[in-house]
Amino acid sequence: MSRTFNIRYAKERGFAFIMRLSLLICAGILTFLLVSIFVKGIGAISLEFLFTSAREFGRSGGIIYQLLGSLLMVLVAILIVVPVAVGTSLFQYAFNTKKGIAYLLEQSLYALNAIPSITYGIFGLIFFVNVLNTGISWFVGSIILAIMMLPTVTLSTYQAMTAIPKIYQENAAALGLKKSQIIRRVTLPQSLQGIVTGSLIGLARAIGETAPIMFIATAFSGVSVPRSLAEPVSTLPTHILELAQQSTDPQALQNAWGASLVLILLVSAFSLLALFARSYLRRQGRK
Amino acid sequence: MFKKFGALCLALFSAACSAPDAIYVSGSSTVLPPVSKAAEKFSAETGISVIVNAGGSGGGFNQLAEGQSDIGMMSRNITSGELEAFKTINFTEVAIGRDAVVPSISSEIYEAGVTLLSISQIADIYTGDIRNWSEVGGPDRDIFVIDKEANRGTRQVFMDVVLGDPKAEAAGADLVTGSNNEEQTALVQSNAGIGMLSVAWLNDDVRGLAIVLPNGKTIEPSIENIRAGTYPFVRDLNVVKRSDLKPSANQFITYLLGPDGQKLVEESGYIGIAN
Amino acid sequence: MRSLRGLRKLQGLRLYALACGTVSLTIVFTIIATLFLQSLPVLMAENTNLMGTHWNPGKGQFGILPMLFGSLFVMSIAVAVAFPLGLLAAIYIAETRSSKLRRVLKSFLELLAGIPSIVYGLIGVAYLNIWVADLFDLQSGRVILTAGILLGIMILPTFLTLTEDAISAVPVKFRENAKSLGLYRHEVFFSIILPQAKTGIAGAGLLALGRALGETMAVMLVIGSLDRLPKPLLNPLSSGQTITSKLGREVPESAFGSVHFSALVFMSLIIVCITVTLTIVSRYLFRKTGADV
Repeated sequence: MSRTFNIRYAKERGFAFIMRLSLLICAGILTFLLVSIFVKGIGAISLEFLFTSAREFGRSGGIIYQLLGSLLMVLVAILIVVPVAVGTSLFQYAFNTKKGIAYLLEQSLYALNAIPSITYGIFGLIFFVNVLNTGISWFVGSIILAIMMLPTVTLSTYQAMTAIPKIYQENAAALGLKKSQIIRRVTLPQSLQGIVTGSLIGLARAIGETAPIMFIATAFSGVSVPRSLAEPVSTLPTHILELAQQSTDPQALQNAWGASLVLILLVSAFSLLALFARSYLRRQGRK
Repeated sequence: MFKKFGALCLALFSAACSAPDAIYVSGSSTVLPPVSKAAEKFSAETGISVIVNAGGSGGGFNQLAEGQSDIGMMSRNITSGELEAFKTINFTEVAIGRDAVVPSISSEIYEAGVTLLSISQIADIYTGDIRNWSEVGGPDRDIFVIDKEANRGTRQVFMDVVLGDPKAEAAGADLVTGSNNEEQTALVQSNAGIGMLSVAWLNDDVRGLAIVLPNGKTIEPSIENIRAGTYPFVRDLNVVKRSDLKPSANQFITYLLGPDGQKLVEESGYIGIAN
Repeated sequence: MRSLRGLRKLQGLRLYALACGTVSLTIVFTIIATLFLQSLPVLMAENTNLMGTHWNPGKGQFGILPMLFGSLFVMSIAVAVAFPLGLLAAIYIAETRSSKLRRVLKSFLELLAGIPSIVYGLIGVAYLNIWVADLFDLQSGRVILTAGILLGIMILPTFLTLTEDAISAVPVKFRENAKSLGLYRHEVFFSIILPQAKTGIAGAGLLALGRALGETMAVMLVIGSLDRLPKPLLNPLSSGQTITSKLGREVPESAFGSVHFSALVFMSLIIVCITVTLTIVSRYLFRKTGADV
């Protein structure tokens, strides 16, 4: 009997050990990632880096146009996606009665989320750049990013809508408000939290994407601020890609780290804002 | 709320109506450095913006042919196949410089004694028939064969000379890289590698081989030999235009051929057309 | 008067919602249809050897097997790296009593899951390439193993978080009952928690798998781009090629409308079908978890 006891005990100790080891390895790898990006990147960042333009293929100079290009594309993308997402959620929530359509819509959104980012780029290339003949355009990039963000924003908005306590709607109806008024005064304002949170999460993802936009919206040099819709822009992720291919040049590598750090700070900023928005707006909404 | 949103959209859309005469250039990573520098200077002088993109000679041609760019950069000539595919368009190649594709090796091998090879030896290395540096006078180490993406002008020039077919496969390849930058990186990081680089990318870690001709003569990859055209892998660096070129793009090509542009070509390590 | 205006407003809203719903519904079908239509040229062309092992667009050979194999091989390595580590670490975190620590860890993981893929690519080029080359004495670290490990690290935070959720979802009372019976932790896990959480864990796994298959940027920079099956077949120290890496590198170089382009779109279609299927199955599994408890 004591031998069985020992084997069980040994297994337990062994299991506990590999669990702790795994956690340590995971923590180690992931901390290493963040720390190295931070440490290597911080050396490249200066006011000059952030506000001047790239020279010599990015080996010297800064990333101002890349920064502006990235921000422009994702912010316009949000402007495109929010109306569609809100409309779609509204459709699911207030206007759709057929179960089949509701199911199909939900599955379509999840399928959209599953499509790899490179495929979005190829789709954009086929559909917009060639079939619709728009050429390389930052606006097309925004449209593609908007499509990518659609599931996230729609689902977040829809969740917020369904989370509205039924009592609000019942009260409103009891007060004699029409359906359109209920939607405008109760449903939409109460789901603002979902819209904002979903948008910020979508922004955090979109600003880091390279593959969807590298064929259809970006150029390597010569672009500053676009003056029309049909021009390319430079963006942070594509800039990092270009620099990563010059990895034996220490200057280029340093700038790549700097650009990466800036990108991650932006992503984190959007994510943190999403977290705050969730709690702040939720409190506001309940007043 | 919706009205403000609508106004914003309208403002953005009105911006769409303005069509600037920006010049869009794309293609070979070899031709990119001088063109990119010239673009900066040209923009500063004339205020016309010039947008430059890489992507390889093949990609540059395709974009030009499909109307997505104004000027294509190619480090080789247009193939008959490409002309076939776009029969209705008139293309013109304009050489803005000349350089050579140099079979390059890691400095460790170069310093160990392998400073020249014959074309057939290089061919055998790339087809996998010669596998060890000792077979060509070097140390006992496996040859690390670095190939390039098939659509790159540099590769097509190289394969045309070495294997007689610009689209030949390299059965002995161990790694495939894209731009000149990537190829250079791969060669620098290895100590037994051979690859194909434009002469402007050679440095202390990546040395260019001299070629031994069948008649016994040795040709170094020097500027004089490239200028004279005696180095076997000499090629023109071209910008390609369509017949329906916009005037600002023509202006830019003239700039490239002018003294300022040519100075930048030479500063990039290539040879100007005047020579 | 008022009711008429209200009705018109409602009609307006309904139209707007309907339009948006239609757009959302049709986008995914449009994408897939577009991909399918663009794949037709290569499927209908002769002598392309589509399922062969030779990829040479210049000679009309479009054998996709090396890329398909590369994708699967890299994905397998990524899974082998991420799943054991992620699962074990998730069990440990789920057992943590301090909920504050749990929240800190989860936020940390969310932060990591948000690192853009190109940054992973940079890390691969700057560190992993060199370490693998030094460790195995290779001429270049751009091999299948590097891509697999990098991908594994990429999917680790996501898989960890989702698995941890699945394990924590098992009600505490099961665990407490088991502990009061004198079971050790590993016995509690294997006999009690795992059966309950396995659909959730499977869902997490499939999602991570889908992400690994669809990833482009990180893989593209470290895989070596060699369009050939490795010799010997299961050699992770050779360079290789995945479908996504091929797409990232060759799409800009191919002429739109050519058979070459069509072959690339076809490969993309294959990946889309796999990832969409994985997502749908994983969602079904997640839904099942909810119903079981």
